[in-house]
Amino acid sequence: MTGLLEIFDPKAPPRAIGIDLGTTNSLVAYVKNERPTAVLDCNGHALLPSVVHYGDRGEVVVGENAALRAAESPRETIVSVKRFMGRGADDPETERLGPYAFAKPSSSEPNVVRFLVRDRAITPVEVSAEILRTLKHLAEDELRSVGGAVITVPAYFDDAQRQATKDAGRLAGLEVLRLLNEPTAAALAYGLDKKQNGKFAVYDLGGGTFDITILVLDNGVFQVCSTGGDSALGGDDMDRAIAHELFELSGRNWKVASPRDVRIALDLARAVKHGLTSGDEVEVENPFSTEPKSLVITRARFDALIEPLLARTGAACRRALKDAGLKATELDGVILVGGATRVLAVRAYVAKLFGKEPLADIDPDEVVALGAAVQADLLAGEGTANDVLLLDVIPLSLGIEVGCGLVDRILPRNTTTPAVARATYTTQQDNQTGFEIHVVQGERELAADCRSLAHFTLRGIPPMPAGMARLEVTFRVDADGLLSVHAHEQTTGHEQSVSVKPSYGLDDDTIEQMLLDAIDHGEEDIMARRLAEARTLAQRIIGSTKKSLEVDSDLLEPGEKERILTALSALEKITSEAKGDDARRVQLHIEDLDAATKDFAGRRMNRAIARAIAGQKLEAVEHTVEHAKGLEAAHAPRRST
Amino acid sequence: MDPFAVIGAPRRFDLDLSALEKTHRELARALHPDKFAHASTSERRIALEKAATVNEAWRIVRDPIRRAEALFGIGGIAVGHTREPQASSAFLMDVLEQREALAQARKDRDMVKVRALGEHFEARAKAAEEKLTQGFALAFAGRESAPDRGALETVLPVLGELRFYRRFIDEVSAIIEEEEVS
Repeated sequence: MTGLLEIFDPKAPPRAIGIDLGTTNSLVAYVKNERPTAVLDCNGHALLPSVVHYGDRGEVVVGENAALRAAESPRETIVSVKRFMGRGADDPETERLGPYAFAKPSSSEPNVVRFLVRDRAITPVEVSAEILRTLKHLAEDELRSVGGAVITVPAYFDDAQRQATKDAGRLAGLEVLRLLNEPTAAALAYGLDKKQNGKFAVYDLGGGTFDITILVLDNGVFQVCSTGGDSALGGDDMDRAIAHELFELSGRNWKVASPRDVRIALDLARAVKHGLTSGDEVEVENPFSTEPKSLVITRARFDALIEPLLARTGAACRRALKDAGLKATELDGVILVGGATRVLAVRAYVAKLFGKEPLADIDPDEVVALGAAVQADLLAGEGTANDVLLLDVIPLSLGIEVGCGLVDRILPRNTTTPAVARATYTTQQDNQTGFEIHVVQGERELAADCRSLAHFTLRGIPPMPAGMARLEVTFRVDADGLLSVHAHEQTTGHEQSVSVKPSYGLDDDTIEQMLLDAIDHGEEDIMARRLAEARTLAQRIIGSTKKSLEVDSDLLEPGEKERILTALSALEKITSEAKGDDARRVQLHIEDLDAATKDFAGRRMNRAIARAIAGQKLEAVEHTVEHAKGLEAAHAPRRST
Repeated sequence: MDPFAVIGAPRRFDLDLSALEKTHRELARALHPDKFAHASTSERRIALEKAATVNEAWRIVRDPIRRAEALFGIGGIAVGHTREPQASSAFLMDVLEQREALAQARKDRDMVKVRALGEHFEARAKAAEEKLTQGFALAFAGRESAPDRGALETVLPVLGELRFYRRFIDEVSAIIEEEEVS
């Protein structure tokens, strides 16, 4: 949406937004008068088709207008880009029915899928960023100023897919506050609306992904018990099944069909699918030849075609229930999310599987974005419901490849995030100075069957006999579900903070280059943007520091308050005076304040812990003060080795 | 990290998990990164680290095998497949036979037999947990910070047995799941 008149009102307070970046459609929402509300475009539509068209004069079209060009220029129009997020150039997804051409990566390039569009290689991250940028502009039209954004991802997205989504947000010029799992977002939209407590399943069948999540709602805490699904299963597969049938009925072989015919068949298939949510059969004109004149798909035939897809969702549901230690009958409700749950056979299947009629009172196309808006509002500190908390989990086990290609699981699936776990390994050979670590994600026992996330080598281990070295590898997963890995050799203390090179991702340099390229196109002024970002961050930290000085003033040590106040006023001064390329200076003062408050922050955290436990102590009388003392020791700031 | 101290639990095997679940939730509520979205970098980092540690402690304490391993660890006894004493040959023979029975039942698709085997091992696992409860109570009685090593070593083989039972029960549920899907 270049060329759009940028209206920038510096006085309008930035508002946090929630974005559902969907396979088929995307939308943006925000909290307006305490209710999450979807942003409508000038035609009154909330849903933006997730379609990006690259024109022959370099113009980029997003949404409905792009979708209209899909049939005419199938190769230049990217539909369902979400399916390609975080995937390697050699991923099987590139082999499936679709009209695209892909660029062969050179050995020096990161191993990611690239669409070949008019001799240009375009990554899915860039395509997704176009969609996000359009949504951002849409929100700016309504809100004037957009603050941070919460972007939803399927719960089942692996690390590479999550990282790709975050990169796309960054590329679109958004401050990504959080990646939020779609089912959790949906539960948030329902839970706050209905003030319900109980156990729920969220059955989310979108355009390209299927997720099942079992969670407990307990007085504002949304605890995810288990999650499962398939990041390549959705409404698109129904379209594909119908498209195959259409080719079959017209006596054509889809394998040799032109990209244009494939696109036509897929679009027609989608229309058939929509038609079958109300009618018993749909008749369409044969788009390929005059004989037969028309093609008929009955509901019974459609139901039979999608039966294998539904069975795959059923298997995932059973496993998620088992992981949560629950039976279907113990659930208080089943929430439907995703456009594909409009298909009647899906609703019937879910009702049978869980033995109860599913809930669908919030529009299944909007519920995820509405929940994301609620979370964005909470994170921005604008909401009133501050006792709301989401406790999410890791969807797929994280591990390391050990001898014979086996996987050593370090963080099992369904571990609550944020999470940390360590494992210790040793060297196999005398005087081995390097140790290769291969990080994988998945449930299979062989590393080759899991998703490869990263390779790195811990170097500089001092020579010693085999089996003597003790290499401790630490996995940390943050609240976005993103992994970082750290390794160190314990006997000598040789340490390496590892920058994990993602196997299927873009490195920081590539992203930075893409950002610069976008700016070359006259989008924004990077200096002004960096300064604005630094200023926002500074103001946020100034606010929270003042508040904590007030609340926990009794924890301050002599002279500490003065040190903090000095750093604070210095930061306030630079923040108000900063201009031009001062972003770095603001950043340095933020670091100064950070250093001044570090010990105070540690003490505040220990108090929060003691209070949380003390609150429970009143109920559990058997816990004595002894444990609180043990706790102090356990939570005391540890000296780094 | 002592997971019992982190989660505010006494050092014993039989714990009131539902009460501890509430404690964990309260700790998670107090420390979750969402509560520190506006805080300084160091405060966010400390909160993230502590929240992860609290989750890790809860993961250990709630699981019988990991909980037992942690209690042995406090007593200075290294655990893990290679460090624990070998199970008796009578025990191994017995497990081997039951395993063959399970494989046969699976082949015959005799789900009644499969379930019966599962229940049998659930009962044995429960008995093993009971033994661990008593063993740890004895070892830690009156000496929470330095448990009796001898008492711990006596009960150590039960941990290996419990691992066998858990694996067997997991296999049973995998077979039931497989049967339900097909």
